[in-house]
Parts: sequence; structure tokens; C-alpha cells
Amino acid sequence: MQAVAPTDKVSPFEAARIVSAPNAQSGNVTSWSNEMAAVAHSRDRASFMRIYDHFSPRVLRYLQSLGCAEMVAEELAQEALLRLWQRADSYDPQRSKLSTWLFRIARNLYIDRIRREPHWVDTQDWIEQVEASAEAPIAARPAASPDAFADHVALQQRIDALPAAQARLIRMSYFEARTHQEISAELGMPLGTVKSTLRRAFLKLQLAIGKSA
Amino acid sequence: MKPQHHLDPATLVSYAAGSLPEALAVVAATHLGICPHCRAQLRDAENVGGQLLEQQIPDQAEASRLARMRLTMLDRLDDPALAAPSPVPSREATTTTVDPDRLPEPLHPYFGSSYRALRWRWVAPGVRFLRAAGTRGATLIMLKIAPGKSMPVHSHGGSEITQILQGAYDDALGHFGTGDIADLDSETEHQPVTSPGVPCICVAALDAPLHFPGWLARTMQPLVGL
Repeated sequence: MQAVAPTDKVSPFEAARIVSAPNAQSGNVTSWSNEMAAVAHSRDRASFMRIYDHFSPRVLRYLQSLGCAEMVAEELAQEALLRLWQRADSYDPQRSKLSTWLFRIARNLYIDRIRREPHWVDTQDWIEQVEASAEAPIAARPAASPDAFADHVALQQRIDALPAAQARLIRMSYFEARTHQEISAELGMPLGTVKSTLRRAFLKLQLAIGKSA
Repeated sequence: MKPQHHLDPATLVSYAAGSLPEALAVVAATHLGICPHCRAQLRDAENVGGQLLEQQIPDQAEASRLARMRLTMLDRLDDPALAAPSPVPSREATTTTVDPDRLPEPLHPYFGSSYRALRWRWVAPGVRFLRAAGTRGATLIMLKIAPGKSMPVHSHGGSEITQILQGAYDDALGHFGTGDIADLDSETEHQPVTSPGVPCICVAALDAPLHFPGWLARTMQPLVGL
């Protein structure tokens, strides 16, 4: 995909092409850390816009699935990506994949702005701080390593292979922000079953994450 | 201090997903602050979130909207006020000296920062408690129970998660010491007995009323309002 200069006008048709163009990087966790390094060190817009083009539609869908109104989802998605631009230097590929980092940014924005839990973000920062002072980076595999890519593929496969009930509860938790109680009420499933199903699903997915295997 | 009792993976998944009620998340965070094992689990669960985000297929019907957003973003990058790097504000470094009077950070907004300053309310002989205001949908309380005290047998209509801040207790599930978390299912009926020596102070979140059988229950329930 071409880097787009700030002055470029993008017609709706071209925009469609942007969305549908097979992204060479799609799903390739290994190159994102190079793009992020370019953003952090030289404020490289082309790199940023490649990240933007790949992730902003995904972040937008995520926020919409959480029930954000269209305009609100748009604004929060933009803010999430702008934060990536502003704080690129605090991204550490040794600690997390870019998709995970962005997921956390978007989730935190949702909890802060939509759910209005004003202390959540501070608490997550605190946990990160404790983590940084207490232990070596927990991801034993740098995001840019072949091992990390293998993990990524394995995780994808595990998600796709989840039994329907487990997949549904994972989806309701991550994409609809439903509590255990809400899932239980909505599906008419005992609370204990909701928890044991989520537990089984997570343990299965964890097997795909190298360091836990 | 290495915790022996950890968060239920189902709780961690919901925490990572942002779908845990606030009160439960506060108690979980208090545990996460001292438990490397659960922090590693949390990062795994967030990794799953990242992967699910990655898997979202962009919607072709959104093309013109995305194009408009793209132009807006390019404009913002031109705005020096917005586009300047904004390093994560550095907060005061975590204190290395442990102040025994200091409550864990996640509790500060709800209970203040000092154990000494807590204004406990008496509920029953040897039992004091505090309830945080303003957590929707679930109840956040702190309990201070005298040493060697038997709590009433109770079960839960929903989830109860309890982080031990000081002291210890035993119940049918085992010994819970300082730093441990009891993350219980609704089916569990238990009767904690605090260890001798020091009072047991814990923070607990309940997402449904407690069910106490027996006389103490009838005395406590209206008082505590659980």
C-alpha cells in the first residue's frame, strides 16, 4: 500500500480500495514492531498510516460491537489511533503484540468514557508499573521473533477451533462486555456453567501462547 | 509474599475483556498488584483480546466512512497540538519501602489510603465493616474480623471475591493468608474462621446478595444491607 501524503484527496472508490487491498502486513505481527519503531523514532507518517489503515477499521468494529453509538465509536477509534501515534515510544514489542497494545488502549477508552469508571485507567497504569519494577518482561518471546509469529498463528487456530458455546461466551465477554451475571441471564445458563465454560475456553487458548505451554 | 490462592481464570478473562463489574475489578486489581502469576495470566487474556481485534474483518460498506475518518486523521497529524508526542505521564515511582498503614492503590478512590483513617462500623461482636459508595451493580466492602472468630455459614447468589489484606482465615477450601484471593462460585457455601493473632482485614466484592442461613444471618443481613 502506498504511503498517502497528508494533502492527498481520497475518493470513496479509492477508499474502498484501501479497505479491500490485501495488506501485505495483514496478521503479520513481525513487521508492526518495525513500523512502530519508525513512528517512535522518526515520526514516520507513512508507517503510521499503514498501521492506521490496518487497525482503525478493526478498532471501530470493536467499539461498535461494545454498543457505542456510531459517532462515539468513530471518535474513540480515532483517539485510540492518535494515542498510538503520540505514545509510540512507550510501545515495547518485547512485552506485547501491537494488536494487544491497541486492544488495551481501546478497551481502556471504552471503560473510561462510556462506562465512566474514572479509576480504571489509573489502576491499569499502576499494575503496569508494579509489573515493570517486579519482573523481567513477561513475554519470553519478542513480538518480532519467528516464535511469536508461530504463537500468533496457533492462537488464531485455537480461537477458530473453539466449540460453539465457548466461542459464544468469549465473544460476549470481549465484544459485548457482558458480565458473567448478564451472560447467565441472557442465555438462561447457570452462573457456575458460565464460569466453567469461560475457564475451559481460556485454558485452551492459553495452550497456544508459547510461554504458557 | 507469594499468594497461594489465585483469581479464577473466568474472572481474569472478564477483567481483561473489560466486562467485570467495577467492584469485582477493584478487588481483582488489588490481587494483581501483588501476584506475578495472575499478572502473567492477565497478559495472556489481553493477548486473546488483541487476537480477536486482529480478526475483525473490515466492513466493505463502511468504506466511505473510513475514508472520511482517514482524512480527519491526516488533518490531526498536521495539528501540532494533537500530533506532538505525549509521553505517558510519569507517576511517582512505586514506593519501595512498604508502609504498613498504606492501603493498596486500587482501593484509594473507594476507601482512602490509610488503614488508620478507616472509620469502621460495628456489625456484630468482633466484626466491623465498611461499604464503598458508587460502584454500580455490585457491592464493594471491607471487613475487619477479630482473630479466632467464626463467621456465619453463607453462600452466594452470585460471585464473591475476597482479597486478604492482613491476617488470615481458614474454611473448607483451605487456608487463606495475606495476599491470597478467594474467588468463589455461587454454589460454594463456606464458613470462614479467622486465624488467631491479628485481625483479618479483607476487601470483598459481591455481585449478588449473600445468603446467610440461621440466626446471625437474620441479625446481620439488615445491618450490613447485603
